[in-house]
Amino acid sequence: MTRPTQQPTTSPPPRPRSAPSGGLRVLAVGGESGAGPLQGLRQWAADLAVELEWAADLPRATRLLAGGQWDLVLAVLGDRSDEELAWWVDALRGAAGAPRLIALADRPSMGMALRAEKLGVLDVLALPLKREALTSALARVRSAATEVALPFPPGDTEVQGHYALVGQSPAMLEVYKLMARVAHSTATVLILGESGTGKEVVARTIHQHGPASTGPFVAVNCAAIPENLLESELFGHEKGAFTGAVARKIGRFEQAGGGTLFLDEIADMSLSLQAKILRAVQEREIERVGGGESIPVSVRLIAATNRNLQDAIAQGRFREDLYYRLAVVTIQLPRLVDRGDDLVLLIGYFARQFGERYAKRIDGLSDRALELLRKHQWVGNVRELRNVIERATIVVSDGTLRSEHLPDELRAHEPGAPERSTSGLPTLAEAEARHIARVLSHTGGQIGAAADILGIHRNTLTRKMKEYGL
Amino acid sequence: MRVEQALRLLPNLEALTPLRGLLLSSARPDERVQWGSGGPYLTVGKRDVEPGELARSMGAVLTFVAEHIAALYGAYVEALERQERNDAPGAVAALLGAGRLEEKVGRLSQAHAWYEVALALAETLQDRRPEVETLLALGHVCLALGQYAEGARHYQRGLVLSEAEFNQSGAVDASVGLGNAAFERAEWPGARAWYSRALRLAESGNDRLRLGLIEHRVGVLDRRQGDLAAAGEHLRRARECFETLNGEAALEMARVLDAQGELDGALGRPGPAAGAFREALAWVRRDQHDPGLDVAIRLHLAELLFDTGRWLEAEEEMRRAEQLAITSNQMRGLVRIYTLLGTLRGRQGDETGFVFFEQAIALCRALEGPPIDEARVYHAYGLFRQVCGGPDEARAYLERAAEILRTLGVDEEVERVTAALRNSHDVNTPAAGAG
Repeated sequence: MTRPTQQPTTSPPPRPRSAPSGGLRVLAVGGESGAGPLQGLRQWAADLAVELEWAADLPRATRLLAGGQWDLVLAVLGDRSDEELAWWVDALRGAAGAPRLIALADRPSMGMALRAEKLGVLDVLALPLKREALTSALARVRSAATEVALPFPPGDTEVQGHYALVGQSPAMLEVYKLMARVAHSTATVLILGESGTGKEVVARTIHQHGPASTGPFVAVNCAAIPENLLESELFGHEKGAFTGAVARKIGRFEQAGGGTLFLDEIADMSLSLQAKILRAVQEREIERVGGGESIPVSVRLIAATNRNLQDAIAQGRFREDLYYRLAVVTIQLPRLVDRGDDLVLLIGYFARQFGERYAKRIDGLSDRALELLRKHQWVGNVRELRNVIERATIVVSDGTLRSEHLPDELRAHEPGAPERSTSGLPTLAEAEARHIARVLSHTGGQIGAAADILGIHRNTLTRKMKEYGL
Repeated sequence: MRVEQALRLLPNLEALTPLRGLLLSSARPDERVQWGSGGPYLTVGKRDVEPGELARSMGAVLTFVAEHIAALYGAYVEALERQERNDAPGAVAALLGAGRLEEKVGRLSQAHAWYEVALALAETLQDRRPEVETLLALGHVCLALGQYAEGARHYQRGLVLSEAEFNQSGAVDASVGLGNAAFERAEWPGARAWYSRALRLAESGNDRLRLGLIEHRVGVLDRRQGDLAAAGEHLRRARECFETLNGEAALEMARVLDAQGELDGALGRPGPAAGAFREALAWVRRDQHDPGLDVAIRLHLAELLFDTGRWLEAEEEMRRAEQLAITSNQMRGLVRIYTLLGTLRGRQGDETGFVFFEQAIALCRALEGPPIDEARVYHAYGLFRQVCGGPDEARAYLERAAEILRTLGVDEEVERVTAALRNSHDVNTPAAGAG
């Protein structure tokens, strides 16, 4: 519901990234000054146009980081390298100058390299430090200086507030058409879509344009509420109905009377509660927990889920009769990666929204930042993008969002990332390690589930994890 | 399987506490729901646990439990042997050692029980040093349990005995303990008097570590009383004391910097405050990592970020603290994290924030922690309900908090809860003559 997308236009000149002398400010932490594993660093500093400071330990490094702007931190990792890596990534978040991190370790394993890459660490280098390796890493830091600012397309005055629908892509136009058709009825609507695609925004918009718009819009997140409390949250309870029922409570069905009840993440509901929802939808009355009285309710129901309900029905985890009651009209929301140039409109929309909140004027983003944002997979869709732009808005110091303002996870894919073999292609072992790491991340580290996905025995997986240091 | 489902299948038996701890610490967030609309409300109960993973981790936990029990049994046998050899002070030391082992793994009530037995034996000795040591240990564990009056009694007795025996370090520690007990009960003049006494004693002995600890406490007391300039001066002196110890007081330094961060926050200097918290975190990492302290500092940092409108960063910091608390089994820390998350959601007018209080209460019950923790959750929950709807629930939660706090003799907190209750009553009672 915005004007057609305009591509950002080129607007030089770029802002210099490094110190006026052209040098990079580098903080080396750990090891020994001048000797030991970092030997050579001081001699190379002048040649490499690096202004080098050295901190013996973390507290001193923290003080130095707080005291000025840094481009790069070279951190020597100890025995607890994983923990230290995570600590550094955490410590550098929000540090002035958005310094990048290069981790230095005695014998970095492939697992460590993969974990570092996932955390957005610029590079992992082996000790003793080699001049060529450092030169190559510094070149990648310097390349950020060439970013070109692109102004945002003008904002749509109609698109305002926290719950606005932004986008002009064909996929979103289809959604708008469907919304327009159902808004004026009282039909139950089922909104499907991945996490963060804007299901609640769509539900609110349908409510605002529907016959119950003067009534309340009550949203219940079924995934957030503990299972044992969800029933009383929805239907209310009488005082003393159960331990903790300290007073009578009016449930969300009653609160939404004359308006819309939005049940988000409905697939997370237990089967017994699904039966009670079905009864409420069919008979238009509810009973409070611990109460014997039937209470009539008049609400428009909109439900949403990011799960595949057909699969859930087949697995016996979702009631088929409830599905058909809810899916009178179904709206499928597209993923952000399928929305093309909506990405640019959304970036502009969020930058303006957060610029207002944090009292900053942001007019555009750099070409490199846009490239990184376009390349990202956006598993969290618009919600993830919103988060990224808010974070960037907090750290931006002028009117342009640059790659340095983006989270490390996005910057891990910056052009020029080091290849791990001379041919530029990964070895079979590297590819295998990377894939295993990805699957483990997908399963939240659960080995059994990962082994199932990979189609190998869990013992084989455990052996490979050990082999690759995962 | 969700943790909340798994916990329902676990009876609330003391023998199963390590298993409960393992269940919680092995819970993993479901990355698929991270970006879902329920993501901001996820608690440990909504994490996943895999029975197979649990079974595989069980060996290490059982070994740890077996070693712990073996050490306790060993301490007991040693106490018997010493007693048999007429070495009663040695027997007291063995019993104290068992209590310290319990305290180290967070079993405060059990530690209390060991110390009680040690005290009964120590009281029969002519040499009063074991008794002093035991009284100080008891005082410490009582304060950790929120039993401030009992803790103060032990410290008082410890002080009398230390002075009679010219045991200066014992007298310093007892005075600090008495100051802490008074501080926890918001008896500011009493706390100041005890800390001053401890300071005089420590100065005469030039004990840098103890001096630093006392300066830190006085700084915190000054801040609580609103004398921010004096607080800054005492914290500076505390840092100086610890700096002379060549990094041997890394955790103490972290605590002082944490207090400095809170002071800078109170002075409206968010930049230096954040810097102090970050440096404190670096000190925590320096040698022996203390996850409990790490969690506490992150919570202070999160509060600062929230107060300065940096909600996203505050949330991220709290989630990092949550992850650390879960993996390192810092369940009391986790209760504080959820209480704060709920409070912050309340300030944002987000009614769904109630899920954090419910989780905190569930944890308090499952872990049978000190009652003061549960009281504080109810207090915060009552305030949340006052803002986010549910006046009847607000009153009920506040009344419950007041009831627990009264039994603990924490008058200042009782007064604050009572004031909130009055406020709740005023809000819900129509003004005279209205209607």
